[in-house]
Amino acid sequence: MTINDDSMEICCPPCKAACPILTDAREYIQLIAERKYEEAFVSIRKLNPLPRVCGRICTHPCEAACKRGQVEEPIAIAALKRFASDGPWAGRYKGVLPDKRTGHKVAVVGSGPAGLAAAQDLALLGHDVTIFEALPFLGGMLRVGVPGYRLPKDVLDEEIQAILDLGIEVETGVRIGEETKLANLFEQGYKAIFMGIGAHKDRKLGVPGEDEVEGVVSAVFFLRQVNQGENIEVGNKVAVIGGGNTAVDSARSARRLGAKDVHMIYRRTSEQMPAAKEEVEEASHEGVQISYLTSPVEILGNAGGRVSALKCIKNELGEPDASGRRSPKSVSGSEFTLDVDMVIAAIGQAPDSSLVAEEVGVTEKRKQIIVDGPYTLVTTQPGVFAGGDAVTGPATVVEAISAGKRAAIAMDLYLRGEPLPTTGAPKTHETVILPRPIIDRTQPFARSKKVSIPVNQRLKGFGEVDLVLSEGAATKEALRCLHCYLGAKVDSEKCVSCLTCVRVCPLDIPTTSKMGEITIDPVACQACGVCALECPVRAIDISLACRSDIARDIEDGIHMAQRSGLVIVGFFDLHGNFGSSHVKSLKQDHPNIVPVMVFGLRRVDTSDVLKAFESGADGVFLAACPPDADPFPQEADRVKRRVSHARSLLEALGIDGGRLEIIDMPAEGLLEKQSVAELIQRMGNSGQARSA
Amino acid sequence: MTKGCGRLLVLGCETCAAMSFAGGQRQVAELASAIRLGRKTSGDEGEVVEDAIARQCEPEFVDLIEDEVSECDAILSLACGAGVQLLAERFPDKVVLPGCNTTFLGVTEALGVWSERCAGCGNCILDKTAGLCPIARCSKQLLNGPCGGSMNGKCEISKDVDCVWQMIIDRLTRLGRLEMLEEIFPVKDWTPAGHGGPRKMIREDLKS
Repeated sequence: MTINDDSMEICCPPCKAACPILTDAREYIQLIAERKYEEAFVSIRKLNPLPRVCGRICTHPCEAACKRGQVEEPIAIAALKRFASDGPWAGRYKGVLPDKRTGHKVAVVGSGPAGLAAAQDLALLGHDVTIFEALPFLGGMLRVGVPGYRLPKDVLDEEIQAILDLGIEVETGVRIGEETKLANLFEQGYKAIFMGIGAHKDRKLGVPGEDEVEGVVSAVFFLRQVNQGENIEVGNKVAVIGGGNTAVDSARSARRLGAKDVHMIYRRTSEQMPAAKEEVEEASHEGVQISYLTSPVEILGNAGGRVSALKCIKNELGEPDASGRRSPKSVSGSEFTLDVDMVIAAIGQAPDSSLVAEEVGVTEKRKQIIVDGPYTLVTTQPGVFAGGDAVTGPATVVEAISAGKRAAIAMDLYLRGEPLPTTGAPKTHETVILPRPIIDRTQPFARSKKVSIPVNQRLKGFGEVDLVLSEGAATKEALRCLHCYLGAKVDSEKCVSCLTCVRVCPLDIPTTSKMGEITIDPVACQACGVCALECPVRAIDISLACRSDIARDIEDGIHMAQRSGLVIVGFFDLHGNFGSSHVKSLKQDHPNIVPVMVFGLRRVDTSDVLKAFESGADGVFLAACPPDADPFPQEADRVKRRVSHARSLLEALGIDGGRLEIIDMPAEGLLEKQSVAELIQRMGNSGQARSA
Repeated sequence: MTKGCGRLLVLGCETCAAMSFAGGQRQVAELASAIRLGRKTSGDEGEVVEDAIARQCEPEFVDLIEDEVSECDAILSLACGAGVQLLAERFPDKVVLPGCNTTFLGVTEALGVWSERCAGCGNCILDKTAGLCPIARCSKQLLNGPCGGSMNGKCEISKDVDCVWQMIIDRLTRLGRLEMLEEIFPVKDWTPAGHGGPRKMIREDLKS
C-alpha cells in the first residue's frame, strides 16, 4: 500500500512511475497477456479501490509515459484496466481485514474518490471508519460531476459497495461545518478526520449580465441536476464557457438533453485546452462546436429577462502567465455576438470550504484547504487531514485516490502515536528515450481500436458510450507491452565473454568491451528471452517468464495429466489468437495434453523438450502463432533448426523423431479440432517412446 | 621481424595466450618495452603501442580495435595462429606478424609447467584408453599397444617421457577394464585430424 518515494525502484517501469498511486501496470498487463484475468484484477484492486472508474475516466498519465508510444502508440493501459475490472471474475475479490482492530474511530468527510480511498485503506488497517457525506448519495464528483455516458451509475454503485463491504459506516445528508463541526466529531470520539470535500463551487465568469439574466448556470449545478436525473430545461442554443473536462461534460450532456446548437467557448488554443483529448474528440463527433481563442464579454437578455445572446471577443496569445501557458489577450475590434438561450459557466471550480474555514486554514484566493506536505497532509488543525481537489483545486480521480491513500498512511501513524512520514517533494521521472535503431527493428503492431456506440445512438440518452475491449482485443493489446526493465541481465561472474548474446539478439542490443564485458541496455531490451536461452553458461537471467518457469510448468503439468492414453506436452505461443475459454476446453476435452504457455516458441530450449520426454511425455509439439502476430518473426527459422537438432538427439536415443513436431495454431483457438486427433494418432504410430 | 615496420601495435590476447603467459597484457608490456629498447639502439623508427583484446579469434573483438589499427603500420600479434590469421584477414592492408609459436593443447601441471595432452585429431578414443591419449602422447602415435621400445614405463625417445601405453594398461587394469584392449583399432582415418585438408565445423541450429 505504500506510495512514498522508497517504493520507487531504481528500474521502475515508466507506467508505474507516472502513476500517482504507483500502479504496477506492467504486472497486470503481463497477467492479461498470460490469460490470467482474475490475477490481473487482484493486482489492480489491491492498490486501487476504484478500478472500474479509473478504467473509464482516468487521464492515464501512464499512457503518456509508456515506452511503446515511441514505437507507434502507447499501450491502452486504461482500457486494459477496464477489461480486467469489468470481468465476471472481479466479483470474487474480497478485501482482507486484519484480525486485530485498533479500536480507533476515524471520520472521513466527503465520499468522492479521495474520501473513498482513505476510508478503504483506513478500514484495511483495522480502524473503525465512518464516512460523512453532505449529499444524499455517495461518490462525490464521480456521482454528480461525471455523466453516466462516461461512468454508468450502477458501475459506481458496485465499486462503492465493495468498499463499504469492509464494514465502513456511512452517514449521508450530513454537511460537516453546518450543525456538526470538526470539533464535534472529536467530541463524538473520532480520533482523526480526513477532509475530502472536493471542489464543488464554480467560479463566476465575472462578466456583466451573469447574475442579472436568467438561464446562466454553473456547470457543477447543471451537471448535478443531470446526474441526479432531474428534469432540467436545456435551451436550444447553449454556450458552455470553459475548456476543461467539466466544460466538455456539460456540452455533451446538453446535446443529450436536446440542445441543437452547443457551442464551447474557450479563451486559449486547442493545444492548451486542459480537457482530455479523447473527450474533446468525442464532443466534436457529437456535434459540439468549439470556438478557440474566444472569451465572453457580456451576457445579454431579452425583454423577459431570459438570456438571448452572448457577446464574445477573439483573443491572441501574449506572454506566459503563472501556469506557464501564454496568456490570452483580447483583440480589440473583434467582438461578435452569439445567439444563445442558455449559458453554462465551466471555467473552474473551487472547494466549498467556507463552512470549515473557521476550523482549518484555507488559502485566501482559491479557498483550498492548507496542508503541510504531500506525505503528511495535516491541516492547521492537529488530527485533521485533507487531500484531493479540496487541497489542490480541481485535479484528477487518480490524484484524489493517491491523496486518500497517503492520508490513510499518515493518519494510521498518527493514531498509533508514531512520527509521520517525512515531507519531501515527490521525485519526477523522466521518460527514457528508446534508441532509434531499436525502434526501427521493433515489429509494429497497431493499438487496439476504441469501440464506441455510433453517435446517432448516443444522443438519445446517457447510456455508456465506450464499450469494454473484447478478450481477443485485450490480449492482443497486452502482448504489445515492451516489458520495461524485465529484460536480460548478465551475471558477470558466470559470463565467459563468448559473445553469443551479442550475436543472437534480434534487436542487436548487447555490446562487448574489448575485454569481453557484456552490457545489455535495460532500457532497450524487450525481454524476448533469446539470449537467456542461448547463453552456453546460463549466465543470463531474464525477469519476464524466467527459464525455470517452463521446467516447472512441464513437470507440474505432466504430474497432473491423465495417463490413460498418450501424454503429450504442447508448447503454445501466447501470441496465438486464443482466450481463456479455449485453454479450459483443451484441458477438459484433452486431459492427456499438457499445455505449457510461453511468450514465444523462441523461449523453448532443446533441454525443455528433452525434459518433457524425461518427465514422462510420449510426444511433444510446439504450436506456432500466426506469423503476423509474432513480435520476433525472424526467430521462427531458428526455432525450426533447434527442433531439428532436438529431433536428431531423440533419434540417437532411439526415440522416433515423429514424436516431436512443430505445428501451426489455427486462426482462432489453440488447436484445430481435427488436428488434435490426427496429431495423437501420428505420435501414437511413431516408433517406441522409450529407448531399449 | 619487426624491423622497418614503422608504427607497431603489439596486440595481446587475454584468453589462452594470457593463460600460457605468452601473450596477455603483461607479456605485451614486456615485449613492447623490449622492442622499444631494441629500436633505440638500432635506430629503427616508429612508435610501439600496446593493447589487448579478450580473444583475437572472434570478429566482434577484432572490430573494436579497427580505429587503432588504422593508425598503425604493422601489428605484432601475441595470439595463437588462429588469432594472427583473423587479424590478417580483417586488416589485409597491414603487416601482421606472429609473436608466438603456437604449439599444443595441454594442461597446467603447475604454475609455469604445461604439457601436451590433445592433438586435435577429431575422433576421440579416450573412452577406450582410460582417458590417456596415444595420439598426443605416444611418440609413434600407435593405437594398439606399446612398441618394443617401452622400458620401465618410459618411452624410448627419452627417460623424461612416460610411455603412455604403459599408463593405459596400468589404468585399464586398475579400472577392471583391460579387456577393452582386445578391440583392435583399424588403420586410422586421419581426415578428421586435418590430414584431408583444412577443417570447418558448422552447427546449423546455432547459426543466426
